[in-house]
Amino acid sequence: MAHCELASKPLLQCLRNTYSRGVAGVQLQTRAFQSTASVREAEAETPSQPFHKAPDPSLVTSPRLERRLLRQGTTPIGSRRRRAALQNSDNIPFEQLPYQCFQEARKILLADREEKLKEIETMRQRLARQEALSVEEAGGAKAKKSRVTAMQLHLEHLKILADINDPLVKRKFEDNEGDMSKPIYRFLADRKWREYRRKILVQRITQMKVIPDVLPHCDPIVETKLYFGKRQVQAGEFVEAKLSTDAPKLDVQMFEGGEKLVTIAVVDPDVPNVENDNFDYKTHFLAVNVPISATSTKVDLAQLLEDSQVVLPWLPPVAQKGSPYHRLSLFIMEQKDSQPLDFAAVKAKETNRDTTLLRTLQSRYRLKAIGAHLFRTQWDDTTLEVMKQIGFDGANVELRRKRVEPLPYKRRNPSSFR
Amino acid sequence: MKSLSPALASLANVFKIPMSMAPVRPSIARTCHETLNRQTQQPGPVTAALQSAPFSTTNAMAARKGKGPVVDKRITLIRYFLHHPLTPRPLRFSRNRYLRHWTIHRAWQLFRAQQRRKHELELMRQYQSMQEACEELRTGAGDGGKLFRVSMNKKGIFTDMFPIEYARMQTDSPPSDGWNYDWKKPGQK
Repeated sequence: MAHCELASKPLLQCLRNTYSRGVAGVQLQTRAFQSTASVREAEAETPSQPFHKAPDPSLVTSPRLERRLLRQGTTPIGSRRRRAALQNSDNIPFEQLPYQCFQEARKILLADREEKLKEIETMRQRLARQEALSVEEAGGAKAKKSRVTAMQLHLEHLKILADINDPLVKRKFEDNEGDMSKPIYRFLADRKWREYRRKILVQRITQMKVIPDVLPHCDPIVETKLYFGKRQVQAGEFVEAKLSTDAPKLDVQMFEGGEKLVTIAVVDPDVPNVENDNFDYKTHFLAVNVPISATSTKVDLAQLLEDSQVVLPWLPPVAQKGSPYHRLSLFIMEQKDSQPLDFAAVKAKETNRDTTLLRTLQSRYRLKAIGAHLFRTQWDDTTLEVMKQIGFDGANVELRRKRVEPLPYKRRNPSSFR
Repeated sequence: MKSLSPALASLANVFKIPMSMAPVRPSIARTCHETLNRQTQQPGPVTAALQSAPFSTTNAMAARKGKGPVVDKRITLIRYFLHHPLTPRPLRFSRNRYLRHWTIHRAWQLFRAQQRRKHELELMRQYQSMQEACEELRTGAGDGGKLFRVSMNKKGIFTDMFPIEYARMQTDSPPSDGWNYDWKKPGQK
């Protein structure tokens, strides 16, 4: 085997030295096929520079050139085996690959798409006509509204149907390069989210009883991710007290078009109340009038505006020693008709963190929960430090469970065991 | 030496596997029988109770007793046949090939749906045209609908050919009770 390798080495080197020329030739041959401008175009136009001077990260295979590219800061694309295979492939774009069945299938799909586009056009015209009708002509405001809404829904459905069979759309979505302003990518992302992530989220918030404790009901329709610094926190994960001293960042992905104004609240329903022997609520964060849309998803809770959005700034969550873990539940609540709330009035009214209940807020400002997230905190090594930092009184207290005397028939009574 | 199937023999020839060394997979029935009959250890009452659950593979109680893991033979067998070299490998596609496959699949489904839709519409059209003809007969023939009523009459259908009681589902084999020569139609006689 070693001999074989030795013998083939000069041959391989020869091949490596000649590939740049070969690729350029192939480029010229396949130019007629290409419909879209590719990355290679620029390279093909400047053949004066030899390959070893300006190696292409998607074609380079020699370790020396790879190292040089890495030093320049560009990583070679794909595996070396793939790059070597690409060198002598003729780079036909995917939709023009010469497979007969595939091409026939594409013809059918394209014809269907044409038909769907025509349908969309007629539906648009019908919708415009319907909207232009006066209320008397349409037979009452209610009938008109229901008809217009049904037409809009059908139109959205048609838009998705027109694109759902496109393999390039599928590929783009799988590569996470989908443009969220287009309905098809939003539809695919929503379907993917509902298949697994949303189920997990709903399971966590119901199993940990956030749903009946904090809010009576929540049907999440936006995907929420929570980051402390760079670290993403899964729903229900335990977070170290030190990590959560700074306000988290959110990634709120909406799956509908348009923009929404939301209220974001972080509520802890597990503050121990020693006098009454039960638990209290505490609002750790409250902000109103936060705009979100399908394309602008990032919300940094620390960067929200003090004078028009943040009602109650971030309070680092801490759990006293011996207390059961605290569930810090985050709710994204849609404001009615996306109308902004009166910030000054809300700020004047909601000043006390302990008496602000989320249920009250929901009915007072007519909010609707559209997204949720959850993390937990418990006593750990860094909690004391954080408590001192925020001036938490009761840092030196350790809570103990009260001993409950078992009822007589539940006592360990060996005589009744037999 | 067991004889191999011609395809396997040619494969063995291509891959230079000597025929005597070529892995011959024992038949499923024989292996299952042997493995299931081999009693490695007599399970205690607790493990027996656990194993009597239909398909439970958990052995929490066994671990607690410190007797070592209880091996489920069914799983051993599944693993044996799944990873046997003669088991064909799972179908794997490269990305482009998968996408092509997907495209063809979607187009086929779309084509079938279109065909189905066309067929349904055709049936609907036929039904409606038949209905229209009947309506025309009822109102347009000028005889007060007599012709229509007569044509809708079901009397005499099936009675002049063979008794409808003898109609049965078409089967591959004759009925088990043979032909009943004594049968008479209930109304006759």
